[in-house]
Amino acid sequence: MPRRNSSMIVEILLLGFGVGVLVGLLGIGGGVVLVPAMVYLLRMDQHMAQGTSLLILLPPVGLGALIAYWKRGQVDLPAGILCALGMLTGAYLGSLIAIPLASRNLKGLFGCFLMFVAILLWRMTRRENGAGLLVAGERAGD
Amino acid sequence: MIEGKARSAGIFATACVSGVAAGMFGVGGGVLLVPLLGLLFAFNQHRAQGTSLVALIPPTGLLAFVAYAKAGSVSWQIGSLLIPGIFVGGILGGVLAKRIRPLRMRQVFSGVLFALGAWQTIAAWWS
Repeated sequence: MPRRNSSMIVEILLLGFGVGVLVGLLGIGGGVVLVPAMVYLLRMDQHMAQGTSLLILLPPVGLGALIAYWKRGQVDLPAGILCALGMLTGAYLGSLIAIPLASRNLKGLFGCFLMFVAILLWRMTRRENGAGLLVAGERAGD
Repeated sequence: MIEGKARSAGIFATACVSGVAAGMFGVGGGVLLVPLLGLLFAFNQHRAQGTSLVALIPPTGLLAFVAYAKAGSVSWQIGSLLIPGIFVGGILGGVLAKRIRPLRMRQVFSGVLFALGAWQTIAAWWS
């Protein structure tokens, strides 16, 4: 079925593009959007979607963005390196927990994780709103 | 404010927790690291994002990825097709971000994310 295949390829390319726009807009990793998109739009199994998302996140897609933040002095390098080391070990541990889980349970846990992250993001925007004056002051100081 | 070594240890521990979530759910981890740096260590939004990007440059998901690959849970074909779109889309998103109020955008995004999470939880356990 070559025709169905090629429309599938276009669909995947467009999906990547859409996720990329969000990544650039919000400055967060694409995985949190990619995984549900692959599960629902491409009908992938939960484990397969997560493994594929990790593959996509291997190249340093955030390099250009990092340079922009670096130029404005908005990078805490020692803290960033510590975080990289912590995430490397933590992520391995996480994969060991996830792989033996039933796909259905992993899907449910992923949903809970999304809700948790959403609440954190919301709290962050509220805090930011309160600190609006401070941030404006910092910008003026640049 | 926590100082010096204790603060470093705290940041490391926070990154480990974000890492566990990253490996468990196949995400980058930045989505958890950024708000945690902000809420626990008083980083401002820009500094939290910039610092999180440092952590995402090395392939921190490598060990987790290898574990998934060994279990046969990686689709190389779809993965390699998604990469170019994300790359090009990311550039466009970066340009758009300069024109839109980021705060409102993040609020909308967190609302969408919550709905998506609720939907996925219900679909997994109550159907």
